[in-house]
Amino acid sequence: MGDVTTPPGGYFGQALVVDVTDATTRTLPLPDGVLRDYLGGAGLGVWLMNELAPDGVDALDAQAPLAFVFSPLVGTPLTTSAKFAVVAKSPLTGLLTDALASSHFAIAGKFTGHDAIVLTGRAETPSTLLIDEEGIRLVDASELWGMSASDAEEAVRTRFGRNWRAASIGPAGEQQVRYATISHDGRHAGRGGLGAVMGAKNVKALAVKGRRRVDLADRAAVLAAAKDLRGRSFGPATAKYRELGTLSNLLAFNAISTLPTRNFQTATFAEAPLLSAEDLAESRSVAKKSCASCTIGCEHIYASKGNKKVRVEYENVFALGPMCGVSDPDLVLEASALCDDLGLDTISSGGTIAWAMECVERGLLDAPWLRFGDGQALLRVLDEIGARTGVGALLAEGSRHAAEVVGGGSSAFAPHVKGMEMPGYEPRTMQSMALGLAVNARGADHNRSGAYEADLKGDLDRVLGTDDHVRAAIETEDRAAVMDSMILCKFLRGVFTDPFDEWAGLLAKVTGWDVDADELHETARRIVLAKRAFNLRQGWTTADDWLPERFLDTPIELESGRVATLPAERLRAMIATYYAERGLDSAGRPAAVPTASGTEPTT
Amino acid sequence: MGTAKAALEWHGSTMLRHVTGVVGRVVDAPVVVVRAPGQELPELDPRVQVHQDPEEGHGPMQGLAVGLSVAAEHAEHAFVCSTDLPFLHAAFVSAVLRGFDPAGVPADEADPDVVLPFVRGYRQPMAAGYRTDLAPRIAKLVAAQHLRPAHLFEECHVRRLDDAALLADRRLAAVDPELESVINVNEPDDYEEARSRPAPEIVVERYGVLATGSGGARGPRTVRAANIGEAAAQVGLALDGHILAAVNGDQIRGDGQLPLLAGDSVAFISADAGG
Repeated sequence: MGDVTTPPGGYFGQALVVDVTDATTRTLPLPDGVLRDYLGGAGLGVWLMNELAPDGVDALDAQAPLAFVFSPLVGTPLTTSAKFAVVAKSPLTGLLTDALASSHFAIAGKFTGHDAIVLTGRAETPSTLLIDEEGIRLVDASELWGMSASDAEEAVRTRFGRNWRAASIGPAGEQQVRYATISHDGRHAGRGGLGAVMGAKNVKALAVKGRRRVDLADRAAVLAAAKDLRGRSFGPATAKYRELGTLSNLLAFNAISTLPTRNFQTATFAEAPLLSAEDLAESRSVAKKSCASCTIGCEHIYASKGNKKVRVEYENVFALGPMCGVSDPDLVLEASALCDDLGLDTISSGGTIAWAMECVERGLLDAPWLRFGDGQALLRVLDEIGARTGVGALLAEGSRHAAEVVGGGSSAFAPHVKGMEMPGYEPRTMQSMALGLAVNARGADHNRSGAYEADLKGDLDRVLGTDDHVRAAIETEDRAAVMDSMILCKFLRGVFTDPFDEWAGLLAKVTGWDVDADELHETARRIVLAKRAFNLRQGWTTADDWLPERFLDTPIELESGRVATLPAERLRAMIATYYAERGLDSAGRPAAVPTASGTEPTT
Repeated sequence: MGTAKAALEWHGSTMLRHVTGVVGRVVDAPVVVVRAPGQELPELDPRVQVHQDPEEGHGPMQGLAVGLSVAAEHAEHAFVCSTDLPFLHAAFVSAVLRGFDPAGVPADEADPDVVLPFVRGYRQPMAAGYRTDLAPRIAKLVAAQHLRPAHLFEECHVRRLDDAALLADRRLAAVDPELESVINVNEPDDYEEARSRPAPEIVVERYGVLATGSGGARGPRTVRAANIGEAAAQVGLALDGHILAAVNGDQIRGDGQLPLLAGDSVAFISADAGG
């Protein structure tokens, strides 16, 4: 188990577990072996879940743990390192979810003296939990209930002091909408309904403050590495993010038939130019911002007609724009701002609403006002979801559950995997991504898989999935597992020429470990399998690794005239290869996953 | 010619790379090149498979047998062509391969062994489609010193595609109305004439920072370019590893020598695509 009294560089070697039912705490030692095996962020988060979450616990049950997990790089001068992971069992999927966010919360939280903060229990009344080096306080937050996350955050800092940093939920989290977010400084831990988990604990905000620093194994070497990485972060590999942001994907994806439109009925959107970064940047850009400790500065703030200032990303514009057939940029920006205020994941919101719009079109859902292309209807239904009123009560459950209620074959076009709504990548025309979406532990997810990289690189025929696509998807999944655990922003990925070697070098300088690329490859595999093991304990079955029928029985035609299909047998073959290459059994189950407390049986 | 046709310069590339690139744009399986024993070839896309005739001097039938036997591992049908077709268009390759499609074909023409274009009255065995399982039969013919394709056509089911049949394909009619796909270069003058023609007209659009960072007007532009590298240069881009191109909204490539053809559209996107 290693020596817990002298943690490696970059770590405190302990997690704080807070039961908000009675404001009691305990310290969970994090031995060197665990830290080395799981690193931090998403990796350490899944270890904590495997240790602390009761098998089969309901995601919204008081006993379900909610972990805020930092990493060895947080607090170092390495660019993009001020990140934290929020990890829990997802109320949307019933499986693991881990979402990352970047902000000063990561630094303040870690400097309380902990590598992770885990909440369990349920407070009697709406509460704010304050944690600093002195201990914890649970204070009444009734006056914050109903506020947006950003207003709640501001209220906490006004009341307790500007040096507190608060991660908060909005009204959607309070209502336990199954895709509610947790946010800090406008950045969301967005996917999987973590805001609902926090809401179920009656915690409106978690506020942290700390000044306790960690030792670094070789401070001078870390400083030199930080300087080098900062220099590289200004190069061509990040130009896209710095100059236009991820929204620049929108027109490019439209040109290559990968832009999901009207609930994945097509992969191009004729009105896409109206929502393009190229145009919006000219007419509406009001600011660019960086996350804490970041030199890239990917945040592009645009103004809507109502002068709302909105952070714009590809995913929120895709989901609330083309996916719902809405092309008015003002209404899309307003919808995005509304999701921020309510604390809603934009991808799941857009996916669920687009599904509902198609149901209305097919006469399966009695909400005649909810039509593709109607931006006002989009705003109305977001309000209803946030408040769980009207049709919003159904849609607050997510597209999978809603389709089960509505029936009529609507599950075939409910755009989700494992209950999580799909991001803005058309799987029929990106078949590495199709595999990545199908097998990912979190569900339909572009951040833990990232297999779209393989499809967009040009080495593979992106519409004809093969074993090579599977191997490429595994490689991107492994890279993501390490980046999400160290944690480094993925927008940096292009600056690393030999990523695993370079990451091992960074870790060695921070921690003092003699870690190398091979070890990190093994770490990645361990983390991926640990997620799978957690899911297995929570009821995952082989059938969960699959895509909705729409993608398997309806072709998409490319501009070239070529028709992209993804027959079920091809997807099945790719999944079988994935299982084999990952060392899983033919049903996708890991044989065993070692943890610090012993070997975790999974069957 | 005095120079191996395969190595003839073609818009900064070579004739062989150009022709294999055109065919590679159409087919899902690997492109196969069959060379004479010991023949040196110019650099090719790494995805192209190179095989060798077992013996020299048996003409195209020998190469046909070797190429089809390799292709048989991947497909039922193959498009076969010589290296000296500078104006070969992807739409022509598609139209020929569609000749194997039974849909809409009279019963007596269905299930052909060979789809053989007859352009301006001349048959084009080196720009034709073949069933890949013909390889053993062709090998037998070669062994019997029957070294002309006509020997094969005498004993198998040939579907003829004349000009009208080829141009019934609307895409081909639009981009190659004169069926110049089958023009070959046999003499230096042929080559000079072909090389003196302007590159095909294509439409180029840059996306994201490639558009906003260029200083020029955004939106589609019509340029003349024979390959992606030339097209990039025409709009002020260099394929430096951070830029990729999608041709006709289909495959994404960073290979500057990928041929471009009349009627193509090219989307230049950031290689760091994704969110």
